[in-house]
Amino acid sequence: MNKLKLFLLNNAAFIIFIVIFVIFGLLSPRFLAYKSLEIIIVNATFIGVIAVGMTFVLLTGGIDLSVGSTMYFSAAVLGYLVNDLGISIWLGMLVCLLVGLLIGALNALMITRIGMVPFIATLISMILARGAGMFITRSVPMDYPESLTTLDAINVFGVIPMPILLFALVVLAASVFLRDTQTGRQLYAIGNDPEGGRRAGLDTRRLTAMTYMICGTCSALGGIVSIAQLGRVNASFGVGNEFDAIAAAVLGGASLFGGIGTVFPGTLLGAVMIQMIQSGLVFTRIDLYLQPIIMAAIIFLAVLVDSIRSSFIKKLQRRNITRQGDAAAGDENADG
Amino acid sequence: MDDTPIFQCNGVGKAFFGVKALDNVDIELRRGRVLGLIGENGAGKSTLMNVIGGFFPQDSGEMFLDGKPYRPEGTLAATKAGIGFIHQELNLFPNLAIAENMFIDDFPKRGPLIDRREMARRTTGVLKALGMDFPPWLKVERLMPGERQMVEIARVLASDARIIIFDEPTTSLTAKETEKLFVLIGQLKEEGRAIVYISHILGDVEKLCDDLVILRDGGITAAGRCGEFCVERMVASMIGRDIGSIYPPKTNKPGGEVALSVKNLSQSGIVSNISLDLKKGEILGIFGLMGSGRTELMRMIFGVDDYESGAVTVDRVPIRRSNPRDAIDKGMAFVTENRRDEGFLQSYPIVDNIGLVYMRDFIHPLTRLVDRKRVAGESVRIAGELKIKYASVDRQAVKSLSGGNQQKVALGKWLVKRPKALILDEPTRGIDVGAKYEVYNIINDLAAGGSGVMVVSSELGELMGIADRIVAMNRGEIIQVFARGEFDEEAIMRAAFRIHEDGMRIGSAS
Amino acid sequence: MSAQIEYKTEAGWRRWLRRILASEFFVLYLTIAYVLCLSPWIPYFWSMGNLTDILSNTWPLLVIAVGQTFVLIIGGIDLSQTSVLAFASIVGAALICTSLEPYIFSKCVMWGWIVAEDGGILAHSTAGFVLAIAIMLGCGMFVGLLNGISVAAFRMPAFMVTLVTMMMFSAVALYLAGSENIMHLPDEFVLLGDSYDLVSVPMFIAIGVTILAHILLRRSLFGMQVYAVGVNPMASRISGVPVRRVIILAFVISGLCAAIGSILYTARFEMGRPTLGATMLMDVVGANVIGGVSLSGGKGKILWAVFGVLFFVILANTLNFLNLSFYTIDLVKGVVIFGAATLDVVRGRIAQAS
Repeated sequence: MNKLKLFLLNNAAFIIFIVIFVIFGLLSPRFLAYKSLEIIIVNATFIGVIAVGMTFVLLTGGIDLSVGSTMYFSAAVLGYLVNDLGISIWLGMLVCLLVGLLIGALNALMITRIGMVPFIATLISMILARGAGMFITRSVPMDYPESLTTLDAINVFGVIPMPILLFALVVLAASVFLRDTQTGRQLYAIGNDPEGGRRAGLDTRRLTAMTYMICGTCSALGGIVSIAQLGRVNASFGVGNEFDAIAAAVLGGASLFGGIGTVFPGTLLGAVMIQMIQSGLVFTRIDLYLQPIIMAAIIFLAVLVDSIRSSFIKKLQRRNITRQGDAAAGDENADG
Repeated sequence: MDDTPIFQCNGVGKAFFGVKALDNVDIELRRGRVLGLIGENGAGKSTLMNVIGGFFPQDSGEMFLDGKPYRPEGTLAATKAGIGFIHQELNLFPNLAIAENMFIDDFPKRGPLIDRREMARRTTGVLKALGMDFPPWLKVERLMPGERQMVEIARVLASDARIIIFDEPTTSLTAKETEKLFVLIGQLKEEGRAIVYISHILGDVEKLCDDLVILRDGGITAAGRCGEFCVERMVASMIGRDIGSIYPPKTNKPGGEVALSVKNLSQSGIVSNISLDLKKGEILGIFGLMGSGRTELMRMIFGVDDYESGAVTVDRVPIRRSNPRDAIDKGMAFVTENRRDEGFLQSYPIVDNIGLVYMRDFIHPLTRLVDRKRVAGESVRIAGELKIKYASVDRQAVKSLSGGNQQKVALGKWLVKRPKALILDEPTRGIDVGAKYEVYNIINDLAAGGSGVMVVSSELGELMGIADRIVAMNRGEIIQVFARGEFDEEAIMRAAFRIHEDGMRIGSAS
Repeated sequence: MSAQIEYKTEAGWRRWLRRILASEFFVLYLTIAYVLCLSPWIPYFWSMGNLTDILSNTWPLLVIAVGQTFVLIIGGIDLSQTSVLAFASIVGAALICTSLEPYIFSKCVMWGWIVAEDGGILAHSTAGFVLAIAIMLGCGMFVGLLNGISVAAFRMPAFMVTLVTMMMFSAVALYLAGSENIMHLPDEFVLLGDSYDLVSVPMFIAIGVTILAHILLRRSLFGMQVYAVGVNPMASRISGVPVRRVIILAFVISGLCAAIGSILYTARFEMGRPTLGATMLMDVVGANVIGGVSLSGGKGKILWAVFGVLFFVILANTLNFLNLSFYTIDLVKGVVIFGAATLDVVRGRIAQAS
């Protein structure tokens, strides 16, 4: 009995996911089609990639408010290089990623070298990157060449849409890194206890700095995905996306206090779940004004269930010390 | 065995903000020998070990490892040089598995990825050597404090350190685990490793160590073969004067009236059917091993944790379940085992801590505002009564006080009003001899003044020294109650280990 | 000999600098220094018109930031304040507006039962007016209560809870108003935003709220408990602090302050705006953090929030005067906040070393 309960609780995120999927499916049978599922994942790619980067930062107990502006600034650089200088889109995209990396490095510098709190440091680069982007675009909307905007529609091997492949690669790389490398495991350690990490001889600064650089690069990559889908970038590109990315990571089980969270299945599920709710609401043709309200309510429920779940698990795992409880030894599974 | 020292410190000194923490200290470590390092809190033991462990450099003097100058640039350098450090404050990451904690600074790898199989193999090996059979992928957060301490020890053993520093390793170990640890230290000696053993438990030091260094105020007051010292001489060198005895004379007289009564308290899996009475003016000792449910029981009585059935009354007034405020209002007080996390507000001064519990009583009846001056006055009074050493009651953060003084603050906040029933969970853990004596005095005075005092401890000697009755617990049950006249170390131990040859079991204590 | 004197004067100068850096009033000094440095370039700064403008921007923001301070001290964060601004603004404006254009509002959900062609149901009476204000405040307290209960009773992370309520109530405001501004507010209400040069109604309200909050936090039992919960909730609970109630109350105060801010803004703009405050979040939290309030709880003062708000308002104001093109404003703003944050770090180190 307890084992079943524990199983259900441990997989609560996945179960909520299925429940939401089924409900939307019942409300609108078209939603269940393979094609619509594909669209959901394609649309989730952009926030998903950023949320993967955000997961790294959250693991260290930090936060990155600058991701939306990083998207905008790197997109502006890309547009400038490709449209005004006539550089090839591939080189342009590489530079675009480098810009993301640089903003991440700026965050890292402010946080690990100067010693600012992440909230303020990334707030500063949020303002700076938005300003720098505006400086390039003069806030005029930018269009991108077709060679870039059609990337989105390419099907690799004829079946896998490009964004899904990209998303899968990012998730794979990130989760292997976090789960199976020394650096990845050390990130969990310093996220749990930075002081303890230092005592154990870990290079806390380098590890923390790395997460912001990864997050910056992921933001630029997410920006490219979004450009390919939208084809056009205006002055509000990326505004508020930092919250979407944080929401996706937290829905996937990441803690804002550090040390807890996974990219797979966590953040992947979180990102797809948010997109699924959005698409589901569109499919069921609910009043446009009501959609964000329902969306918020569902996320609220998901977070609520998660909180109840963790306190329940704690209770279930309370050690039995009386003699009657000898048989009840907990079973273990190792995941990050 | 060759007798050249493996490690030497010559004239090492260190000052913090102009205050000398270490002054001209010389020590030598030899292969296969255990050096005991004792002294009161603040005597410089930790500072010395931190210098050796590479946490910070010394200001003066030199260190030699294998005859070569040794000046570590960080903890990692010290580890690489073969110095293993078992901290008093655990250095584990509870969100990671045991195996991951073992190798956190240097994972076994296969290519760029970590080699889980090798990690599991080596972890299981070391754990077995320590007599533990946890799966290597068990998360540390699932372990009890004593078990975590053993993992910490295992971690240092896994790195083949030549010099191993144990800083108060037994504070959270059960008697059985402690015994295991001592056997292990014996093995390490035989392997030719040099060991530094820091402890407040002088009996252990006497039993275990070959050499002894005693520190006071940053300098060495005595050193030599351990056999030349008896406990009394150790204490005298530590505190610089003789104390008459370890326990103050008992002046309290248990009355007939009941201060705190627990009836049939049960919570499945934790405690079953506990009943006990605490008399006014009585000191009741609760003895049990780590994991006997004693701490959990105290938390339920006070209302920190919930329980399924049973009743608690203070002075015949029932206490609501799971409601500390109610317990406080009805005259109960509780000093928890975990003083760092639960005892006080670390970054706040003494005033805010002492005022916290009874802040309501400092409210001006008309303005409804807190009378800060009265709180400060009361804090000064209590700090004086408890002999708390402080620089400022309203500026100095409590975390900058020494362990003993911190404990007195954690205790002092309950003494604004005289509590009817006071529960103390491990009140002397990790504090030095002098401070211990003072805490015993406070307990004695409180009981003499009519309060019922319940003291939980894993040091039986301490309970035998101060308690009027001792309750032995095992696995969530009360096994037997001993009155002061019939205190017998062996019998109490047997009860706590539940070695019942005579089948005697007492379900309730009254 | 002369070298020694030189050394001495340098030490005196250093001590002076150290005292400024370690002072509680540091952010205020910083703001003053900033203004003095810029004065030669923007003479208009000291004109009555501009000072009035600065102050009228300060008051509502101050009230909101003061509310946020309570939540930050208990170790939480309240992102939903911005949505309370919009939500309360729309509800209040709808209740008391004196007339509405049917061609704009006839499709909105409130039409027919709360609002009609001749305005809101509480328009045209004093009692209705007072009730409407109470309802606006109630809106803020309701959102705060929802946040507080979620955080305290269900142990949900404050960041997520308030992020969700931010999304939700911003959307509710848009839904209620159908994305339109609600105009035609009665004169009595607009009076609440009135100003005569430097003196204004919002000034009295904001100063009143700030002083009250200061007394509540520093001198009352509740204030002590707020700090205690912020530092260590478990130690507080064992010491008999009603931790849940304190957390819920802190969020309610935050919502209430946002609602007061909403009243001030709505009165000043003379309309209910469904997008009111949408871009203010970073100013509110940023002002607190620049002022020195810690995001990890247990550390902060109302006075610090006041200085932080002043810094942010003056920064925005001067940037408008610097003759910068709109696309460089953000760059300069970022650099200035960077400078302030760096000085703050330096200051923290000095305080620790002495």
